[in-house]
Amino acid sequence: MALAVLAVTFFALPFVGLLWRMPWAAVGEVLTDDPVRTALWLSIRCSLLATALSLVLGVPLAWLLARVGFPGRGVVRALCTLSMVLPPVVGGVALFFSFGRRGLFGQYLDSWFGIRLPFTTWAVVVAQTFVAMPFLVLTVEAAIRQLDRRYEDAARTLGASRWYVFHRVTLPSIRPGLIAGAVLAWARALGEFGATITFAGNFPGTTQTMPLATYLALETNPEEALILSLVLIVVSFAVLIGLRDRWLGGAGAGAG
Amino acid sequence: MSLDATIALRLGLLDLDVHLDVERDELLAILGPNGAGKSTVLRALAGLMSIDSGRIAIDGAMVDEPAAGLFVPAEARPIGVVFQDYLLFKHLSVVENVAFGLRARGVGRADARRRAAEWLGRVGLSDYATSRPGALSGGQAQRVALARALATDPRLLLLDEPLAALDAGARAGVRRDLRHHLRSFDGMRVMVTHDPVDAYALADRVAVMDGGRIVQLGTIAEVTAHPRSRYVASLVGTNLAIGVVEGNTLTTDSGGRVVLVDPPPGPAFALIRPQAIALHRPTVGDVDTGSAQNRWAGTVTDVDRLGDRVRVHVDGPLRLTAEITAAALEALDLRPGDPVLAAAKATDIESYPV
Repeated sequence: MALAVLAVTFFALPFVGLLWRMPWAAVGEVLTDDPVRTALWLSIRCSLLATALSLVLGVPLAWLLARVGFPGRGVVRALCTLSMVLPPVVGGVALFFSFGRRGLFGQYLDSWFGIRLPFTTWAVVVAQTFVAMPFLVLTVEAAIRQLDRRYEDAARTLGASRWYVFHRVTLPSIRPGLIAGAVLAWARALGEFGATITFAGNFPGTTQTMPLATYLALETNPEEALILSLVLIVVSFAVLIGLRDRWLGGAGAGAG
Repeated sequence: MSLDATIALRLGLLDLDVHLDVERDELLAILGPNGAGKSTVLRALAGLMSIDSGRIAIDGAMVDEPAAGLFVPAEARPIGVVFQDYLLFKHLSVVENVAFGLRARGVGRADARRRAAEWLGRVGLSDYATSRPGALSGGQAQRVALARALATDPRLLLLDEPLAALDAGARAGVRRDLRHHLRSFDGMRVMVTHDPVDAYALADRVAVMDGGRIVQLGTIAEVTAHPRSRYVASLVGTNLAIGVVEGNTLTTDSGGRVVLVDPPPGPAFALIRPQAIALHRPTVGDVDTGSAQNRWAGTVTDVDRLGDRVRVHVDGPLRLTAEITAAALEALDLRPGDPVLAAAKATDIESYPV
């Protein structure tokens, strides 16, 4: 009991400290500040794009992992979720040496298609997707596994093609898991720092997202860092509250 | 217009090998205990699983023939299925559920809805068109499932334990409804059930399955009058001895002997109705009295009271159930574990060849 209280205190104290030092009077001024608004807008755009990319690629991957029994499935799952446990900066380094201009694949992207990823806004999206998609994949995979497959059988006996079954029966049935996974991935993308700064750099307007701006501000203008932190806390907290029933409630993410 | 299916497949411990013929306008019930392979037959007919060997033809069109490398999946077969728990899509309204098959086949939204609404009218559920399936009773859900299965105009309707999900109180009424609605469908129908009452009420013919084989096939009257398996015998509440006849005596594997009148030679069944069996307390120096030629010594295992009548289960060389009056039971004072002598006249026992 005492240890549990200690744990709660441990989680609460940093926020108390942060709010204690919060220059409330300057909040409005900083938030309307151009560089801050640019960073916030970039963060929102990139994290939403990363979420969309995670959905488009992650849902089929989750379906594959949940449904198709192929040799080495465990290895593939581990590989696809590695970036969740990997230090993000390592992910960033890996991305840099693969998709950088002189990277193993990046050089061909450049010479064949003229695409140069590093230090662009797209690099931010790629870095965020890299670390965020596993959250979606794992959540959606769990939801698909919990699904009663007989509903899909029923749909097939009614003449539904596999694609029709997937988008008219499977997807609606895993909606709660899908939403939970997408929100988690989005929150992770929003907070992404290490892989972004390594692979995309820190250029205001193109790659400087909120977490990067916050870190930078800490060195020059601690008040601003506090306020930027507040914004991220509010957003994260709102996400947690929104997911309360599905994720924190422990009722499982996918019981459609 | 018929279903012609020879299904052989292995699934875990199940070794399935059956042949089914169903004519147009006919309802065949597959009756059998759990694990007999009934539902697997249904899944194979539906195209939800492929067979290892054999062939399935619906109206002359081959839909599964492994030898020819042919397998038509469920979505391309002219079938409708009513599943055991009905499996209505929870995220769709009732009318959308019924329209699902039409929409999946490319029928326009408005047209599909109109036709679905017609079907709902036919099963008397027009008022529930916009309800969610969760708001329906078991019987209503079954009618929606039936309407959904029939809305696509299937040639073959498959019903998997259509009454098993209902509580006992609702079953009789729903069974009557189902009988009525099934009559309006003139295609072939195959129903899987473990309840002989369902088969009796709904089926034209019954295929009794046990251990992956069809052990008896015929009209319900034939099957119940001359059961050819202990399973059916126990379902209809009678005693069946299976053995070999020599002279006028049938001997079972376990050494039980039944004296018969003019029995067929060779392997045969002896049907001993519980009402034909009299029970006695064995006495010391038991003298053979009375005209009963069959006297079996055994032990009482169980006593079931059914109002004025009592069913006494006797274990011995033959396992028998005798039906006597409650008064007789009182006079005999029989309890489980007591020794008992069961007797039956040879003229009361029917015999027929295997």
